[in-house]
Amino acid sequence: MAVALARKSLLHDWRRFLPAIMSVGFSGVLIIVQGALLLGIVGSNALPVTQSRADLWIGFPGTQSADLGRSIDAGVSAELLVDPRIRRIEPLLMGAGDWRGSRGGGVSVTLIGIDARPDALGLARSVPPAVRALLEEPATILVDDGDLDKLATAIGEAAEINGHRVRVVGTMQGMRAMGGVNIVASLATARTLDRSLAAPDSVTYYLAGLWASDQARAVRARLSKPDTRSRFEIWTAADLAGRSVRYWLLESGAGIGFVFATAIALLVGTLITSQTLMAAVAASTPQYATLRAIGVAFPKLRLIVVEQAGWVGAIGLALGLTGSLLAAGLARLNGIPFALGPGIMALSGALVLAVALLAGVLALRRLRHADPAALLR
Amino acid sequence: MPPSLSVSALSKSYVVQGIRTQALSDVSLSVDPGALSLISGPSGCGKSTLLSLMSGLSRPDRGAVHALGIGLGTLDDAARDAFRLAHCGFVFQGFNLFPALDACEQVQLVLDYQGVPDGEARRRAREALELVGLGRRSHLRPAELSGGEKQRVAIARAIVKQPRLLFADEPTSALDSVNGAVVTTLLRDIAHRSGAIVVCVSHDPRLIARADRVIEMEDGRLLRDSRDPCSPRRLETSR
Repeated sequence: MAVALARKSLLHDWRRFLPAIMSVGFSGVLIIVQGALLLGIVGSNALPVTQSRADLWIGFPGTQSADLGRSIDAGVSAELLVDPRIRRIEPLLMGAGDWRGSRGGGVSVTLIGIDARPDALGLARSVPPAVRALLEEPATILVDDGDLDKLATAIGEAAEINGHRVRVVGTMQGMRAMGGVNIVASLATARTLDRSLAAPDSVTYYLAGLWASDQARAVRARLSKPDTRSRFEIWTAADLAGRSVRYWLLESGAGIGFVFATAIALLVGTLITSQTLMAAVAASTPQYATLRAIGVAFPKLRLIVVEQAGWVGAIGLALGLTGSLLAAGLARLNGIPFALGPGIMALSGALVLAVALLAGVLALRRLRHADPAALLR
Repeated sequence: MPPSLSVSALSKSYVVQGIRTQALSDVSLSVDPGALSLISGPSGCGKSTLLSLMSGLSRPDRGAVHALGIGLGTLDDAARDAFRLAHCGFVFQGFNLFPALDACEQVQLVLDYQGVPDGEARRRAREALELVGLGRRSHLRPAELSGGEKQRVAIARAIVKQPRLLFADEPTSALDSVNGAVVTTLLRDIAHRSGAIVVCVSHDPRLIARADRVIEMEDGRLLRDSRDPCSPRRLETSR
């Protein structure tokens, strides 16, 4: 192999390159962690969708986010069941309540009414059949493990929601919300707790399970006719979840905050990295000038600097990803919503590599000082 | 055909902070192959400028440089780069070695840029280091070498591609007397053995005494040209 000048210089002078590597790494961690936190927090608005096993969701036309559902006519279910590809249909209710714990304190809560049968689709990922069965008893509720402290309650204790007495019969996982608290009850209990849900001829959503999940788009296309669109809208679960996340990213200002903070992380990363690379080029100016003297063309010298920038980016990115995985572990231990997905990792990876390469391109200006004639003065 | 290098009516001036300095005025010269030619003179006499123009590192304001039958003044930057890559070796006062590379890699690097296959490049790099007496120290980095050894690595780097033109700028001024003598002898031997044109700029009397030809300069002009360095006139002027 030919002499790997860029790599050997990087290894030999690692102290010189360390600030650049660290700054790229920190930029990566910053982008990934705040992105994952933001997606985790915003994604909690889509929890009713992502924690359920429904293939299709049927709700009020134009609903922007799963937590903003409005009631639709219960008669819609008959129209849906006409399609033989639909295996089952069940309602899901969403309302609001004012929680008063037995030890005092008031908290606004989101009330989710689900089908309590063991094979139901609603919140099937968070509420296993054994826990779900507990809801068959009237005036019983479930809360998330992580919300017990916030609600100042425990399993078996009583509380009031909207003035109605309820009892906490169990806990669930993965239903911790961003602002308020998710309280899960049976459909019947939910209708008694929130008066706006009381009318039996209205539901917030219908959840449809298909015989074959891959038919979801086809079934939706068939059922979405111009004359039904004024009464209800159908989404696949992924559509409604994505729509909820996008809505809150754009509407809450959190998305803009993320873009702004990311831009700052990238700017600082670029500045530190380019300064470090410039210093490295400056330190090697006589050597580069000697290569120019023996006839090595400028583009070949540029390649050395760009390759070093690439290595700085790659090592920094590896550090950043490691740091982010550690952060994800910490978040998990503490029950903090942290959506570390491949999307955010790929995005931040591309951004920090771009930072390193941009810094390398900025540092190339210093190569102009590598004038071989200057060695002879 | 032996290599050739000649300059005719060369002039070059620099503008530094608005003040124009005439570095070379109407210099004409032809350099012999197979000999160590030394350009000597006081600081600022234009000797390094002359070396820079002869080697194609910079362009003259007026006049012409012909090297190996090619008019360097007519070549664009890329063509002069290619000419130097193919034919020129350089040794500088500051050895300019890469701190991260061992001696063998410093020398091999030149051949890498010439597109020489890796195995052959490494073999030739070792041979060049043997030639300068550093065969056993080819694995050492600059920090582990003495000043004289570093300059010998730089010479090996300059000669590894067997250049027909070898330029050295003050190659001994950073060295003690023993190492200075070693480097001087090396440069002269290379000229005699390879038949290359070896042009050296220096005001080091040790080097002047060993050169085959001494060209003395002053104020941007040639002052004296002595082909026999041992002539009485030569010794007189060098004192």
